[in-house]
Amino acid sequence: MDLFMNLALNGLATGMLIFLLAAGLTLIFGLMDVLNFAHGGLFAWGAYSGLWIYSKTDSFLIGIIGAIVTGFILGIVTEKWIIKPVYGNHVQQILITLGLMMVLSEMLKVIWGPNQLTASPPDYLKGSWEIGEINLIKYRVFIIIVGLLVFAGVQFMLKKTKIGLVVQAGVMNKEMVQALGINIQRVFMFVFMIGAGMAALGGVLLGPYSGVIHAGMGMEFAILAFIVVVIGGMGNFKGSVLAAILVGLSGSFMAYYVPDLSLAVNMLLMAVVLIIRPQGLFSAKG
Amino acid sequence: MNNSLLKLNQVETYIGQYHILQGVSFEVRKGEVTVLLGRNGAGKTTTLRTIMGLNPASKGSIVFKGEEIQTFPTYTIAKRGIGYVPEDQGIFAGLTVEENMKVAIQKDNEETAKRMEWVLELFPDLKKFWKKPGGLLSGGQKQMLSIARAYVNENELLLIDEPSKGLAPIMVEKVMDSIMQMKDQTTIVLVEQNFMMASTIGDCFYIIDDGRTVSHGTMKQLKEDEEMKRKYLGIA
Amino acid sequence: MNKFADKRPAIIFLLFILLLFLLPFVYESRNLLILLTQIFIFSIFAMSYDLLIGFTGIVSFGHAMYFGLGSYSIGIFMKRFEPDMTYFLWAVLTTIALTAIVSFIVGLLTLRLKSHFYAMLTMSLAGLFLVLAEKWRTLTFGNDGFTFRVPELFIDRTNFYLLCLIGMAAVFFGLRRFVNSPLGRVLQAIRENEQRTASLGFQVLHYKIAASVVSGVLAGIAGILYAISLRYVNTSVFSMDITLDALLMTIIGGVGTLAGPIIGAGIIEFAHDWLTGLAKEHWIFERWIIFFGIIYILVVMFFPQGIVGTLRKIAWKRKKKSYPVKSEQKAAG
Repeated sequence: MDLFMNLALNGLATGMLIFLLAAGLTLIFGLMDVLNFAHGGLFAWGAYSGLWIYSKTDSFLIGIIGAIVTGFILGIVTEKWIIKPVYGNHVQQILITLGLMMVLSEMLKVIWGPNQLTASPPDYLKGSWEIGEINLIKYRVFIIIVGLLVFAGVQFMLKKTKIGLVVQAGVMNKEMVQALGINIQRVFMFVFMIGAGMAALGGVLLGPYSGVIHAGMGMEFAILAFIVVVIGGMGNFKGSVLAAILVGLSGSFMAYYVPDLSLAVNMLLMAVVLIIRPQGLFSAKG
Repeated sequence: MNNSLLKLNQVETYIGQYHILQGVSFEVRKGEVTVLLGRNGAGKTTTLRTIMGLNPASKGSIVFKGEEIQTFPTYTIAKRGIGYVPEDQGIFAGLTVEENMKVAIQKDNEETAKRMEWVLELFPDLKKFWKKPGGLLSGGQKQMLSIARAYVNENELLLIDEPSKGLAPIMVEKVMDSIMQMKDQTTIVLVEQNFMMASTIGDCFYIIDDGRTVSHGTMKQLKEDEEMKRKYLGIA
Repeated sequence: MNKFADKRPAIIFLLFILLLFLLPFVYESRNLLILLTQIFIFSIFAMSYDLLIGFTGIVSFGHAMYFGLGSYSIGIFMKRFEPDMTYFLWAVLTTIALTAIVSFIVGLLTLRLKSHFYAMLTMSLAGLFLVLAEKWRTLTFGNDGFTFRVPELFIDRTNFYLLCLIGMAAVFFGLRRFVNSPLGRVLQAIRENEQRTASLGFQVLHYKIAASVVSGVLAGIAGILYAISLRYVNTSVFSMDITLDALLMTIIGGVGTLAGPIIGAGIIEFAHDWLTGLAKEHWIFERWIIFFGIIYILVVMFFPQGIVGTLRKIAWKRKKKSYPVKSEQKAAG
């Protein structure tokens, strides 16, 4: 029972981190038809900048906020200077965002050195709670709560606010949104910013969770996020959270029982979904 | 002359490599319903899309309220006071009727609330299906929603593209009725194939053929000109 | 256009090859030889990539998987069996078979997809091969990789240099023929307008798969040569960096030109060598890839045709301009 709970908790926490990365990816794709191959770079930048601020200020909370702000800024810059000039040209977009990924991860090495950095949670999130037989590691619970809060927050924004409705409307019919007097470019920038912020948040949370961060982690998690986005249905926000939990859990259990196959299974799942049901497992119509 | 609201002067538009509009000129006077007539593929829809900036004009000028708007982005044109009801209605299928209206509303003020109330009275169906996703509405209801969305802002001009298309005769009458009622408050450019409808609501007409405006006049003149009707509209 | 003008690039290229062929006999520099060998190998790899992206418009982010298959094939054959020519040939055959099969399956399964998905899926598949190489330790020795001996013929650097040079020339002329063949013409038509090509009755998918297979096999060959040049192979041959190398070389050199990837490979390998040397002066040069990343982004944005494509365009424009001037002069004279 303890083992099961542990694996489940672990899987949920990983799932939430992947969700934070995949959510932005899927929103950006749904609205702008752009698959951002540099999204993992934003994730890694969140991890490094957040950890750096955390170490300077000794406050994990300020570190998290700093990471999100870094994400926002990078998101705006990316949208404005990298995505916008090649808007509408898929091949150029794919090529340019991959190039950005390369530059972003090299920049990390330039600023913080090529070696991996260690990270640990603040004291109040260290250790675990014992509830009967079950051992709940605090930091994992923390990640899960943050992930759920972000999910709820974005869901609220999409359903209840004007900008959220506009984003949804934009996914369905971009032309009509503009014909109703809305500057879709600004909506694009907003969504890109939010997506980058979520990715950066995921990155900074990952640091203390895995103990170390390195420049290549962006790419590793980006591949997981791609898998999630495909399984959840490209552009489907709710699908992405379900798929992220699925991938997180399967990864956690596989890593315990058949460690050699865990990534392979996820990739095979993605390949099968892409080939049989390219619209995603959880996609509804409309 | 000073009651001219919209004026197109020798407008040309390309879509990809196709030269769709090759010289469209017409003038819309305040308070009137101007009907664009012509065969399928003549360029009526493209004309409306060009006014909205969705297919920008490559030549010529479009003057709205004394300002040249042909280079403006679509959202600015809409904000200047032009409402657009596209041929496919452009309903956000996944959003409810309420949310569709919310996206459309530009200013949350009393005037908008008044207009909203008025338009919901005009289309009670919308109120009835207020929480229903737009995609599940019938064709006629979609048309009403689309018109309501365009009307709810203080737009001085509505561009309505074939509102009768694909609707049952009884629905056509309903939609026609509502446009008649809006006529008192706003200026309308209507693309319409249904001649009965066009001639009932329209004040004046322009005929577009092969991407050019070829003829115009008052509706009354057109009704009497059998020759013109046969030549351009295929109506005997 | 007269026939000679059409052949001119090929003649220039041949002269260039001849020059390089004579180089080791007149100028002895081990380092230069090794660097040039590396350039030839990556030229082959980049040209195979160009066939995909430049002539068919397919963006693959998993080209490293074919490269790695070649590298591991030769490594394993040389390590497990005797390092002689027989087993070398076996390794080549194995590589051809493996890369052909893999690229065929990948193509069959994924080429129907939109470009985003294709890029994403190939990236993940290459990742899968990387994981496989890491985990299948009995065969690959995991992350650490292994060294192996090579056939006697290739131990001599000059011999190997010549082999790679010939390989590059053969691939260049072979692909030139290929893209100008009826099949290649259809591929280019697909790049320009896939729907129209399909509506003309061509089975677009079949042609794309054919391109994918040819490209995969050539990338495998490049992988073989690469492993022989190092006499060592590890999992990095499957890494994203290898695909990025091909991308940088092809994009900066000029997509859809074949000469472009060779120039791109030359520039990047030379610069790499030079900048690594500079790293002793300042550590920032160790991160040389950042410069190329930025150049790459600028090229994609402003000169999507790369060096060769842009030069061609300029030359073409100038020609167009100069003709009327000439005729005017004639008229005046």
